[in-house]
Amino acid sequence: MSALFHVVETELLASLVGQLLELVRDHPTDSEHRDDPLAAVLGGVGVDDPGRPSDPVLLRLFPDAYRDDDEAASDFRRFTERGLREKKAAFAATVLASLATADQAGEAYRDEQQREKVKIHLDSNEAEAWLRTLTDLRLALGTRLGVEEGDEDHWEALADDDPRRHVHDVYQWLGFVQETLVRALGS
Amino acid sequence: MVTAPVELERPDADEVTAQETPWVTVVWNDPVNLMSYVTYVFQTYFGYAKKKAERLMLDVHEKGKAAVSSGSREEMERDVEAMHSYGLWATMQKAGE
Repeated sequence: MSALFHVVETELLASLVGQLLELVRDHPTDSEHRDDPLAAVLGGVGVDDPGRPSDPVLLRLFPDAYRDDDEAASDFRRFTERGLREKKAAFAATVLASLATADQAGEAYRDEQQREKVKIHLDSNEAEAWLRTLTDLRLALGTRLGVEEGDEDHWEALADDDPRRHVHDVYQWLGFVQETLVRALGS
Repeated sequence: MVTAPVELERPDADEVTAQETPWVTVVWNDPVNLMSYVTYVFQTYFGYAKKKAERLMLDVHEKGKAAVSSGSREEMERDVEAMHSYGLWATMQKAGE
């Protein structure tokens, strides 16, 4: 399958996916809190259980597998988190690689406003990597923003120059791209 | 297309007794994941028919959670890990809890 994007969209995606790659490749524990005696006294999240991320985004990407059993959750994390991080990083890298082909394909289009568009071809493995990476990006942005179900009015009511509104627009757009991709895969 | 193992023969979570399959994988509702994507994941990973995948997705969406698979503890650990790799919020627990 193939997808048409504006050049600015591919640049935005590449930037976001690059940030996601850094996030999931980062060291799996939040070491800054463990070295901070004050944070330890105040009992910051993750201090007693160093393997559990205190960053809500990381906690959403790598959730506890057990709700009522901290020890089992910690064991699960120890056995799976590294592999999950590598998997997510590999999917993100695949997306970056397919975005890079947009420059080389030599297939440039222009829309009505003469803005340059590029066509990106995706095989089924690449499409799967896109779906998962778009999900991780939306989870990261949605968690940072504090997105809740049915809260669209809240974001639309924000002032045009509110940076959160811009981030939410990006979040919505990623959802549109993903929805389009899921439908294309299902048909 | 399919990168995760698909086990078409796996029994449904609601068709087997708790004694035979003491653990279940539970997927929880979240405000981010698209309904179409959640359905896609249930079809792709578990090999469920579209109708069943959609019913489970609606359970997650409307009831807040759904047991999507059942089996041994090891099997459920694999399923939960797979759900996390897809970005779904999943946990595991003993059946009937």
